[in-house]
Formats: sequence, C-alpha cells, structure tokens
Amino acid sequence: MPKRKQKLKSDTIGYWFVLPALLFMSLFIVYPLIYNFVLSFQKVDVMTLMAPHKEWVGFQNYANVMNGTYLWGSMKNTFVFTIGCIAFQFSIGFLLAVLYTQKCKALKPISGLLLISYIIPGTVCSILFKFMFATNGGIVNELFIQLGLITQPIEWLTRPDMAMWSVIIANTWTGIPFNMILLVSGLVNIPLEVYESATIDGANGAQQFFKITVPLLKSSIQTVLVLGFVYTFKCFELIYVMTTGGPVYSTELMSIYSYRRSFMEFNFSEGAAIANILFIILFAVGLFYTKLIGKDEVA
Amino acid sequence: MSAKTRKQFFKVFWIVVGVVCFLIMMFPLYWMISCSLKTESEIFARPPYYFPPNPNLDAYITQLSNVEQFPIINSFKNSMIISLATMAISVVLSTMASYGLARFNIKGKNLIIFLFLVSQMLPQVFTLVPDFIIFKSVGIYNTYWAPIFANCTVAIPFSILMLRTYFLSIPKEVDDAALIDGCNHFQSFLKIMMPMASTGIVVSFVFSFLFGYADMMFSLTFINDSRMWPVTTGIYNVVGRYGIEWSRAMAFGCLAVAPVVLIFLLMERYIVEGLASGAVKG
Repeated sequence: MPKRKQKLKSDTIGYWFVLPALLFMSLFIVYPLIYNFVLSFQKVDVMTLMAPHKEWVGFQNYANVMNGTYLWGSMKNTFVFTIGCIAFQFSIGFLLAVLYTQKCKALKPISGLLLISYIIPGTVCSILFKFMFATNGGIVNELFIQLGLITQPIEWLTRPDMAMWSVIIANTWTGIPFNMILLVSGLVNIPLEVYESATIDGANGAQQFFKITVPLLKSSIQTVLVLGFVYTFKCFELIYVMTTGGPVYSTELMSIYSYRRSFMEFNFSEGAAIANILFIILFAVGLFYTKLIGKDEVA
Repeated sequence: MSAKTRKQFFKVFWIVVGVVCFLIMMFPLYWMISCSLKTESEIFARPPYYFPPNPNLDAYITQLSNVEQFPIINSFKNSMIISLATMAISVVLSTMASYGLARFNIKGKNLIIFLFLVSQMLPQVFTLVPDFIIFKSVGIYNTYWAPIFANCTVAIPFSILMLRTYFLSIPKEVDDAALIDGCNHFQSFLKIMMPMASTGIVVSFVFSFLFGYADMMFSLTFINDSRMWPVTTGIYNVVGRYGIEWSRAMAFGCLAVAPVVLIFLLMERYIVEGLASGAVKG
C-alpha cells in the first residue's frame, strides 16, 4: 500500500515536468490544428479575418480548390520535387557515407565539414543557388559552356521546364549531410571483418553492398527515407526565396500554393483548405513511420 | 597486377574520389566567399575567374555602410535576441518534458509523444495564419516574442524527442538512489539527471539556436518593422526587393553564414550527434 501511494505521487510529479511544454505546444500547435480545420469550412478574406463572426460555407473551399487546376498541379510538383530530391540526396548521401567510413577513412575528419551545407540558413542557400543558376554570369552556365556541354546559356530559373531542376539541386545540396550522417551512424556498427570474410568467400563489391551493407542498414535506410519524405514534402522557404513557385507555377509546391492563396491573394479559407490537404498526406506518411519504428520507440 | 598493387591502386583511387566529392560539395560555399571578394565586373567576366583576381573587401564595406537600405549590424543584434531566446525557452521546456516523459508513468504518455511527432510534420504555412491571429490578439505581433514563440514550436518537439532517448538510457536505479538519499524529484533532476544527459542537452542548445537563427518566414510574417528583422529576413528582403549587385549579396551571405560556421567549428560533435538521433528536420 505505501509503495502504491509513492508511485502515484511520483506520477503526479511527472505531470509537472511535462506540463509547461505541453501547454506551450497546445497553444501554438493544437490550436492552429483546430483553427485551420474550422477556417477551411468558413469564408474568410482580409476583411473578415479579425471579425468575430464568419460565414460557414461547408465544403465549398475544398470544392473550389479541387475543381481548380492549381491544386493538382502543385500536388504533382510536390511529388516530383520530393521524389527527385530524395533520389539524389539519398544516393549521394549513401555514396559519401560508404566513401568516408569504409573506402577512405583517412578523409573522415575533413568530411565533417560537409555538414555546413546542412546548417546554413535556407534563405542564404537559396540566394546562393539563385546566383549560381543565373542565366548571365551564373557559374553553372559558365562551367557548362567551358566544358562544351552547351553553347547558349540555359535560363535555369526562368524556363518552366528547367526551374524544377534548379530547386531540386539546391535542396539536394542542403539535404545530403542529413542522409549521410544517419547512414554513417548505421555503417560504423558493421564490423569490417564481415566484408573480409565475404571477400574470402569470393563476393564482389556489388554483392557485398547489396547482400551485407543494405540489409544491415535497413532501419537507418527506413528512417532516412521516411523523414526525408516528410521534410522535403513540406519544403517551403527554399522555394519561396528561389522562385516563389514560378515561372508559371512550375515550381509551385502545395506549401507555396497555400501561402499564395492566404498571403498574396488573401483567401485565407482556401489557403487553410490546401494546408489541411497537405497535412493529411504528411500525417498518413507519419503514421506509417510510427508503425514502422513503433516497437522500439514508444516504450 | 598483383594483389598488393591492386590493393594500393584502389586505396589511392578511393582517396581521389573522396577528395573530388568533397570539393564538389564545398564548391557552392567556396563560390560565395570567392565572389564576395570580387568586383561586380569580375563576377561577369568571361571566362569566369575561379579565384578572385584582386581580392578586396569593397562589397563588404559598401554593404555594411549602406545603413539606409538595411542596417546589417543591427539585424545581427535582432538575430541574436531571437535565437538566444528561442534557445533558452526551448531548452528549459524540453529538458523538463523529456525527463518527465522518460521517467514517469503518465497517463496519455504515448498520446503526448505522438503530439510532438505530429508537430514535427506540420508544414510551416500551416501555423502562419493561426499564430498570426494569436499574436495579434494578445498584442505581441510586431515584437520579438512572435518569431521567438513560433521558432520554439519547431525547436521543442525536436529537442524532446531527441532528449528523451538520453534520459531513457540512464538506468532508473540512479534516480532511485538519489531519492533514497533524500533528494526530491526536482533536485534529482537538476543535480543527477541533467549532468548525466549533458551531451543531449548541449545538442538541444545548439539545434534550438540554429533553428532560431535560420528562420526567415516567421520574422517576415510576424514582424512588420524592418528594424526588428533578423539577418535572414534582411537578406531576403534586400536581395529580393532591391536586386543588389551579386558581389554585395554574396558578402551579405558570408556575413550571415559566419556565426553558423563558427558554431559548427566549435560544436561539430554535437551537431553530428543531433543529426544522427534521427529526430531532426532535414
């Protein structure tokens, strides 16, 4: 009996530790969740945003958004962007991880410097890549011309078919270290003896990679891919600064579309409806992820 | 080729590949520094100068002295206020919460952890309108508090999910021993648990600061007065609105990145640790 009382008491104390953060997050996260949900069923523009009573319009905003062309266009762009970024940053990150932990360990200390591309503010990164992709004087075009790959400068950021490549490359550059580090932390747990005995058994490099490295890194790979998907799918600032969704909506992701409706065209309700659709997709992926890691995470 | 020379060849080959990859990855940063030391006409030279022919600090001097357009020095002060406050609030709240979630049998614990996971998935646009309304109605719109609180909503879930694993890895017996020795839970938390989780707490310090420093959108949306803008919002506005010369934009960029690089050089180990925890935004 005393033991039980002690336990109860200590659990009550636990609440006091969690409460401040929980209250804070409830105010700034749970409230926005509810607010956006309600907002997406009302008719709210710049005149009525701060008004106490707002007109209820049911699913009208969702219908408007879904009947337009921009939602589906932005959804397609978001998927193209996400899959493009993940394909590049995962494969390059994997390559670098294997390179600096297994193939040339001598370079491991300097490879740490690569992390800088991940931690520099996104705004600076966007401006830097905007400069490098500039049609005139941009180093990418100059380099390609010098190498003889092209004769005329490419209008990277002003041609709808090239702009997506530019933003994918910029985002890939900042995302590589994230992939690299998570895979490195899995790779260092694989003892090199495993590879040595595989070599003795006659396995070649590719066989070793697909039969040893990949299976042993399965959980790291899952984490990198799912988190990479979530964070790339909601990417916002980088594109906002580089292209603001242009030219001609060719890089308009769902996040940018939602921002445009809310803050440039002041249709806050439709902006909220788009944000909700974006969130539902992310939430589904997130649920899948927590199921995936669920067994060891929620202990 | 004998087995030995073959091995030697591959060793050299991989080092060459490693160096080339490193140089390609670092090139954008090199290019930013290099162009900040050029004049505008050198930037547009054909073929391009891969090294600045006459390195000079003119772009920095022009950009720093052009106070009417945007006072950079002052914006660094704003950035420091915003990121240090973000750091302080989120470290205190998340250290406590992660200890509570790791140590106690709280009802709805899984739900709370799930809430923090979900809040990491929220797109930034999602919170802009509701938080704008909150900040307006409680009267902190157009103050430093608005972007500080908004940044904390990013930093806190990361710190909690990351720190919880540190607290979970400390044996429960350590806590029990402190309680038997007459500590209460709060003393045991401060004197025993926090020092034992110090690596995690430093990671949380570093990342909370970096989240606060990197933000541009929250400050742009929640602060109307450009004299209170941080460096990031400033560089976005100056480069976007005035379309300044590239050499000056790159000089501005180098200045904005300098504090981050400094933190990286001092804290590399903790940044690696934070990234490897898998709770981070990418």
